[in-house]
Amino acid sequence: MQALTAIFCKGLKHHIRYPGEFAIFLMLPFLFTFLILGMGDAVGGNNAAAYFAARTGTTNIVIYEILGSAVWMTSWVVIEDVGTAIRDEQIKGTLEQNFLAPVHRFTLLVGLSLTDVVITSILFLVVVGVTVAVVLPSSFLTVIPAFLALLLGLIPLFGIGFLFAGFVVRFKEPYIFIQIVNLVFATLTGTYYPVTLLPYWVQALSGVLPQTYVIDAMRRIVIANQTLVNLYGSIFILLALALAYPILGYAVFRRIERKASVTGEFSKY
Amino acid sequence: MNSRNISYPSRLIEEFRASFLKDIRSYFRYPAWVIGEFLSTPLWFFFFALGVTLFVPVVSVAARGTASTGISYFFFGFIFIVLFSTSVWGVGQSVRNEQESGTLEQFFLAPANRATLILGRWARIFLTDSLIISYTTVLLYLIGGTAVAILNPTLFILSVGLYELSLIGFGLFMAGLTIRIKAYNSIGNAIFFGYMIFTGALFPITVLPQPVRYFSMLLPFTYLNDLMRHAALGTTMILPENLEYTVAILASVAMLIFGFVAFNKIEQDARVKGSIATS
Repeated sequence: MQALTAIFCKGLKHHIRYPGEFAIFLMLPFLFTFLILGMGDAVGGNNAAAYFAARTGTTNIVIYEILGSAVWMTSWVVIEDVGTAIRDEQIKGTLEQNFLAPVHRFTLLVGLSLTDVVITSILFLVVVGVTVAVVLPSSFLTVIPAFLALLLGLIPLFGIGFLFAGFVVRFKEPYIFIQIVNLVFATLTGTYYPVTLLPYWVQALSGVLPQTYVIDAMRRIVIANQTLVNLYGSIFILLALALAYPILGYAVFRRIERKASVTGEFSKY
Repeated sequence: MNSRNISYPSRLIEEFRASFLKDIRSYFRYPAWVIGEFLSTPLWFFFFALGVTLFVPVVSVAARGTASTGISYFFFGFIFIVLFSTSVWGVGQSVRNEQESGTLEQFFLAPANRATLILGRWARIFLTDSLIISYTTVLLYLIGGTAVAILNPTLFILSVGLYELSLIGFGLFMAGLTIRIKAYNSIGNAIFFGYMIFTGALFPITVLPQPVRYFSMLLPFTYLNDLMRHAALGTTMILPENLEYTVAILASVAMLIFGFVAFNKIEQDARVKGSIATS
């Protein structure tokens, strides 16, 4: 527990020390939403909202897009933080000390993840909370169940983060790898559009990503006033993914880590 | 070959060639980055394009025309952004990269013109950007059936030339900025996003509120984007035609000169203060 707290505090200090990075993550969802709205207005003209409603079932474009943006940013933070944490330690030359400390690897990864729970919660509450308060104040309380859906979705996401942490130990090129993964996630999970717009085979891939269910559930909760109970199907899938991904991610990480400790991969960069 | 016998223009060409080849070698030394860039750049386009398709109808023939025009409009925005990123993240960051690698002193001590060294990098990025844009155009046709046609190729080539001149100038200014300001990423991001919103790259500036539109009309890139799009798609120009040509030419030349002057001035100041290699 002491080790977990220490890792958590260390991660938090890092974020506090570089507030500019966090500010960018706060701004990006608004910026991307604004770009989509601007482009939509340009191509759709006066009927843009009507065309949008015909595809999505809502005229509340801002809320629809900002929910997608916010979830995308949270997954971006998690994948980048957990995925690159090991690599950063490797570059700084502190990975060996960390791995030699009498701390279980799982504790190390969970500690990193807990920091991100705090960061992504702030990110979500500021971005979505402020937008809903301004655009749809009557639905402000729906932010709470939407936030619960996000928290549930974070668990499988951390599992995916563990998976990347392992790949990064092996392949050493985290930044471009993470950029592509974030973009693929954004494209597959329906960040700015319903996933039904994608070809069927792509929709099958969307189905194994937790963010797909989180974004859809949030839109139903905030825009269509549904409850978490109504969305039991999505919640059940998220629970299953919350079990599967951390186990899979940690198993892959351990396997790569064990191999790396034999081949001396840790000290290479 | 005795360098004293080489004329000044030949020397510049030789420096440019050496710098270009050096950048090509550095670029292909990291295949993961090459693959990543070639995958992620079109992916950004398709990701946003899918978002934009929600705002266009899909049922009627007329609607298909609208959608196709909309995607073409947006596609040129994507091209502008790819090219603009050359100046911010490519040319601008080149000095920062050398600074971080600890090779900036060697770079500046070489008996070569600074600008040609940086232009070598610009040329490499222009080449790879062109490849990425070309194959994204083919992908767009294969996947979406949208053929991107250029109505006035001569004017388009001329407008791209003007745009590139201004990008070189702006890139040199940004390269100078990296010597003076170390927190380059934040400034680069702010400029990049500012470009996307205020210069009509992705949507016409008429979408912006009136006071913001006045600000947009003060930015040279607004006219350069508008001119290229007009040449390609025949869109209505912001200014009367002849006036816009004049503004675009003057803006490009002014930015190019400003970039060279600013870069030299900042470099000289940094030499005096000894801040060139501080990272």
